[in-house]
Amino acid sequence: MGVGPSTKETTLHHFRDPLLKVLSEDTDIDFQGVVLAGIPQDNVNKLFTGERIGYWIEAMRSDGVIVSADSWGNSDIDFANTVEMIGKRGIPVVGLSFCGVSGQFVVTNPYMDTIVDINKNPEGIETDVVGENSLSELDAKKAKALLKLKMRK
Amino acid sequence: MRRLTIQSFHFTNVSFGESFELRKLTDTPEKTYEMILPSDANPYLEDMDVIDSITMRIIRPGEHHVHNESIMDVFPISAKVLGKLGEGTSRTITGIYGMITGVDTEGTPVCAFGNSDGMLDEQMVLGCAGTPNEEDYILCFDAVLKAKEGFKRTGPNAVHHVVDAYCQNIRELLKKFHAGDCTETQTFEDVIRPGKKKVALVKLVSGQGAMYDTRFLANEPSGFEGGHSVIDITGFPVMLSPNEYRDGAIRAMY
Repeated sequence: MGVGPSTKETTLHHFRDPLLKVLSEDTDIDFQGVVLAGIPQDNVNKLFTGERIGYWIEAMRSDGVIVSADSWGNSDIDFANTVEMIGKRGIPVVGLSFCGVSGQFVVTNPYMDTIVDINKNPEGIETDVVGENSLSELDAKKAKALLKLKMRK
Repeated sequence: MRRLTIQSFHFTNVSFGESFELRKLTDTPEKTYEMILPSDANPYLEDMDVIDSITMRIIRPGEHHVHNESIMDVFPISAKVLGKLGEGTSRTITGIYGMITGVDTEGTPVCAFGNSDGMLDEQMVLGCAGTPNEEDYILCFDAVLKAKEGFKRTGPNAVHHVVDAYCQNIRELLKKFHAGDCTETQTFEDVIRPGKKKVALVKLVSGQGAMYDTRFLANEPSGFEGGHSVIDITGFPVMLSPNEYRDGAIRAMY
């Protein structure tokens, strides 16, 4: 699971992941699969992981990418860097992350122009309530719709 | 290849008894089952000297106003019947989901940024992708680690190992059912659609250390044993097929 309880993705969440459902059921796209990557502790590794994802996505000849993270704070470094490494290759990219009020991005870049905020709490805070701010099917559909618009350009 | 069948067995009751037993309750209008389980996970502790104790509870539907320590994970109980993860046939239990809570003997919760201890109905939103529904049973494993063991990888790893070893007994029984006895069957194909826009999903998951870890591709769906840690591979990207991912390739450690 992630940094705070409300954004935590449990084993059950991964098993029934709305993002996978939404992407694999769409006959209008060729869903390639899931690139699973960790959020390491060390800053050097954080940047290195994002760079490797960039090369990997390029080698896959992807036309579009959705990047999802279930945590925030220092994980934004991994998230922002991964989005940048994909975006700077000219590949349309959409992100999903918890922002709300307390989870605003600590780092950002020009490629983060289409981010779906998975916050559900009215105050926009990490509530310690498991499931509350976790990614829903609606979030997944929003991300897919944004990506389709971006890929159309 | 590229075809995965998931057979679900729906359980409408679970209780503690002498030994592991899965019994059919009804045939119509749908096949339902009940589960009887020993209430003691301690035989699986083995040499897990970082664990002080693991006790078990059954939380029934509508009885969510109970206290729990910080929630480490919620997981489905699934078993591989044929083939490897991502292909062949898997079986999964619906109606009962596993949950792990963690604390150490000094009262420190096993969590990172914020802990979810408190009354369960106030600390968990039911009916999300990652949480049980209102009408589901929760099989809860309450782990107490020795002092400060929650800060190291060995503590949470040991808890997941014990819980997984316990659940393996349920999986072995699940594997023995006839295929025709399942409540529902779903078949998933990894389809390649030439000419369509190619889309990839990047999932960034926990991997910073201690309980902040994610395991992937274990021996059993959504299992722990045989899985690889993202910390061990320094977070490096790994490619998973859609069917591998939906077959329970990931075990979230906390």
